[in-house]
Amino acid sequence: MSAVIPAGLTRQSEVSADVRVECGVVIVGSGAGGATMAAELADAGVDVVVVEEGGYHPTESFTAETGRALRTLYRDGGIGLALGKPPVLFSEGRCVGGSTVVNGGMSWRTPGRVLQRWAEEEGVAAISEQDMEPHFAKVESRISVAHQDPETIGKDMRLLKAGATAKSWKIIPNLRNQLHCAGTNNCTNGCPTGAKRSMLVTNVPRALARGARVFADCRVERITRSGGTVTGIAGRFVRPGGHRGPRLTVRAQVVVAAGGAVQTPALLARSGLRSRSGLLGRNLTLHPNAKAIAFFEEEVAGWRGVHQAYQVREFIDDGILLTAVNLPPSLVALGLPSHGRDLGQVMGEYNHMITAGCLIEDTGSGRVRNIPGLGPQVFYQLTDHDAERVRRGIALTAELMFAAGARRILLPFDGAPEVRDPAGLQDLLARPVPKQSIELFTVHLMGTARMSDDPRRGVVDSFGAFHGVPGLFVADASLFPTPIGVNPMETIMALVTRNAQRLIEQRGRHRI
Amino acid sequence: MRENGSSPARQRGWVVRRIVPRFAEIVCPPEVRTGDLRDRLLAEFESLLQVLPSGVRWSVRSGLVAFDQGARLYPRARGRRFVQLADADAEAYFGVVLARRGAGLGAALQRIKGLVVFCYYELPEVKDQIGYRPDAYIAAVSQRRLASYGPQIRAGEAAVLAPDAGPDAGARPDVGRDRP
Repeated sequence: MSAVIPAGLTRQSEVSADVRVECGVVIVGSGAGGATMAAELADAGVDVVVVEEGGYHPTESFTAETGRALRTLYRDGGIGLALGKPPVLFSEGRCVGGSTVVNGGMSWRTPGRVLQRWAEEEGVAAISEQDMEPHFAKVESRISVAHQDPETIGKDMRLLKAGATAKSWKIIPNLRNQLHCAGTNNCTNGCPTGAKRSMLVTNVPRALARGARVFADCRVERITRSGGTVTGIAGRFVRPGGHRGPRLTVRAQVVVAAGGAVQTPALLARSGLRSRSGLLGRNLTLHPNAKAIAFFEEEVAGWRGVHQAYQVREFIDDGILLTAVNLPPSLVALGLPSHGRDLGQVMGEYNHMITAGCLIEDTGSGRVRNIPGLGPQVFYQLTDHDAERVRRGIALTAELMFAAGARRILLPFDGAPEVRDPAGLQDLLARPVPKQSIELFTVHLMGTARMSDDPRRGVVDSFGAFHGVPGLFVADASLFPTPIGVNPMETIMALVTRNAQRLIEQRGRHRI
Repeated sequence: MRENGSSPARQRGWVVRRIVPRFAEIVCPPEVRTGDLRDRLLAEFESLLQVLPSGVRWSVRSGLVAFDQGARLYPRARGRRFVQLADADAEAYFGVVLARRGAGLGAALQRIKGLVVFCYYELPEVKDQIGYRPDAYIAAVSQRRLASYGPQIRAGEAAVLAPDAGPDAGARPDVGRDRP
């Protein structure tokens, strides 16, 4: 696929020798945090360089081939594992635009109760709903946050809504960052129309148009320092097959780490940085998800229609969110317990399935550790309390699907038989569900460089400045002091918009 | 230079090429044996394996070798490896190992099986067989989008590069509803 490469963007294939550049601010990562910081600073005339480990893949290259997407747009083929009992599978984007290129496009403001908690209990300043309002509004404008056009809503979503209505549960249409989304249901493989307003088609081109430079296919090895102050980054271009290419050295007054809640603490740690609080890499939360597969008599063909049109908010005060997400056949098959002829029979009903599940606002936490030779490793322990909420969330999901007309349901508990009616569900769930048997996954990793103005309680201050290291900032979901219970993209972008404004106000102090 | 036929890289490749096709015959639906599906599944599997973390790659290859060689201890195998077993014996051996979920190999086998069937259901004719035909659908709804909203889309795309015109400039009127 040949595509026009935007001016200012450099890929590994265009680099044959070591590169040295100077700028005001170097940003590591081009996802929701990095690209937003780049656009805001470039808007203000700051000389910005963005370094992204993944490749540049334009909209025209996106197809419905999941294998291709996993190989090109995701870190480690989309298979990350948080070790614990049970382990939690996770995925991170790795491409220009970061995880916004492969997420579902849900755009929700941080709940007011969460902002209030951050202000009152976690020592974060200027974080009230009123403080955040202009930043949310700016983000929503930039990425075209809106409800779906009705003609794009598919059968799976209509059944989800019918089930919730039958149960008299609160269900709301999703707000999504989309410009008249076509409803291709290809969000996680990259939006083939560009309707999903990811960073690839919004803040990255905006930053480039204002003079920012983006280096793709380049892994930052460490943040460089002199006398306790940051001086830039040192990295290497990544050749095909993962081979090391030429060096990239960027000298800058300010370094912004925006690689996400796994890569950011790992980068800081391998750069020799430590937080006084001892919390760098700790406090990881991840919104554990579990899914059930419901089978319907009628054809559903959930791939014909938007990725997620609704969320069930009936249990949000208990930290449980329900929704349905159509998965391509390969990902459904990957998680099924059956094999051989039985697998063929189950998958033969692919067009009669709905994959629905729950997201839990977790109370436990985990840790990212940088292990020499292995790189960042994630450890997470689901608490008994959260395990019980996952069990309840799945029970509610199954109830919802039966109310929508499902005739049988596969549950995400290893070895559990399929259930054929609500009574069977109650029987099954009346028995204890061993925590280790729950199959969990997530795409929301947060909290590993948490904000607090108190250096004993946070890694960075209320505006993302690393305590005790002048010129170093964090700009991604690592900042969150607690989980937020809803999709995190808009929270990341709004926080970073706010923090960029502070950085611009202090540009004289930072000499940028 | 003489090619070293027993280099570690070649051995690792051999493990995958020798074991995965036979493994796929047991874990995938019977249609995997038709045409060149096994070969193409293997190519998809090798591509996927290349981007997985090194620890996962190692555990997949080690798991395959352990599963293949472990068959020698299975009474019905009479000392043969998994790839040498007849279908009924291979199926029975797979079932026995998979049932040991608590043990390391059973859990690893479940994950390897997941990767192999993932690759099977990535093959275009397999998707077509189960009625998943996204390409034509994507083309049709993309066309519908442009026909229905062309001017609004062009205006929205242009706004990305325009100076900020205030917080409500690009927001649609219904955005305020349903906020948590």
